[in-house]
Amino acid sequence: MLSLLAFPATGQRVSAEMNCTFTGTDFVYDCVIRLTPATPGVQISVGADMPSMPMAHNIRPVKAKPGKRPGEYHATLDLDMTGEWAVKLRLSGALRDLLVLHYEFTESGTAPRK
Amino acid sequence: MDEYALGVLTNIGLFSFVALSAYLLLLAGELSFGQQAFFGVGAYGAGIATAMLGLSLPLAILIAMLLGALAAALVGLPTLRLRGLYFAMATLAAAEMFRILFELLHWQVLVEGEPVGPDGTQGFRGIRWIFERGVEAEGFLAMVWTLLAAVLLLFFLVERSKLGATIRALGEDPALVGALGIDVDRFKLGIAAAAGALAALGGALFAHHNTYIEPRNFDIMLGVHSLAYALIGGLGTALGPLLGVVFDLGFLEASRVLQEYRMIVFGGLVALLLAWRPRGMLDERVVHWLKARFS
Repeated sequence: MLSLLAFPATGQRVSAEMNCTFTGTDFVYDCVIRLTPATPGVQISVGADMPSMPMAHNIRPVKAKPGKRPGEYHATLDLDMTGEWAVKLRLSGALRDLLVLHYEFTESGTAPRK
Repeated sequence: MDEYALGVLTNIGLFSFVALSAYLLLLAGELSFGQQAFFGVGAYGAGIATAMLGLSLPLAILIAMLLGALAAALVGLPTLRLRGLYFAMATLAAAEMFRILFELLHWQVLVEGEPVGPDGTQGFRGIRWIFERGVEAEGFLAMVWTLLAAVLLLFFLVERSKLGATIRALGEDPALVGALGIDVDRFKLGIAAAAGALAALGGALFAHHNTYIEPRNFDIMLGVHSLAYALIGGLGTALGPLLGVVFDLGFLEASRVLQEYRMIVFGGLVALLLAWRPRGMLDERVVHWLKARFS
């Protein structure tokens, strides 16, 4: 699992990590995102781009839904293909930030970038 | 406008800069597979300027364009002596050299206690000038398209001038242009530098849009796309590359129902289109016809 540290505009340090499982439908993944520290009132928009083909894939961003645990969110990503994707988390509401996470999306789920 | 539409329109704008860069060289008769290198130079240059040196974005864009022009001139010095396929292969090799240089580039400084800057294959995070100033997606889109409109206006002015006529003549018959007393090599070098600056402008905007760049962003795929957009859209007007980008991204987005086969279908359509119209949809003949019809 890969995590990323970033500096939000508020000055609070946020880290995010994500874990996805393949749904069985081509290139559709159920993802769990965890923000640390857990901050209530944060909305997350999840987008994705392929580093090797920048700008060529326009994945429709989805709003992540808050999960049961604090700081946990769920989102379903509908990608174009397997391979490495840069997942963009746009945080708004109580925290404003933009995080970029890199994962290898396979036919079983996600793995950290090699 | 929703986030998806904003993203598509921003990507069309960003892609157009590098497509126009390839178009400018095509007008001068040169087929470059290497414009992604200068897009990358612009991205890294502007990212370093704002994120590491604390400069403003306008100044960073100027620096990026200068670096892009310089890099393109350095590549052009040895490669513009080549012709046709040899020039195309040389630009591709040069672009790969730049990508490998980006992979070898490790230079980080501490910003608020955290390292920021190029970290080889791990990329360059924290290019947050736009984000930290609260520029939202709509504002950034407006910035990209305003700059693109300015570039297109410049193209229209140049294409109506003696300079534009000389560039097109160079693409048709360099020996004839040389016979008119113009230093063809120096002239082409200037065009290559201008094309490099244009690609770098797009790269600078791309880096600040993404907040993160890595060497793989600037590999052959981007070069092939940019050249294809210029050829698909047409060589009759600077609107051609823009049309090529809109056609490509528009078709790919509209054909999502074809799922993974859409790339194959699109590739076949491009091949058919170029067999039917080798100088693109808006080629010189169509542009002359449109001018005669509407002027």
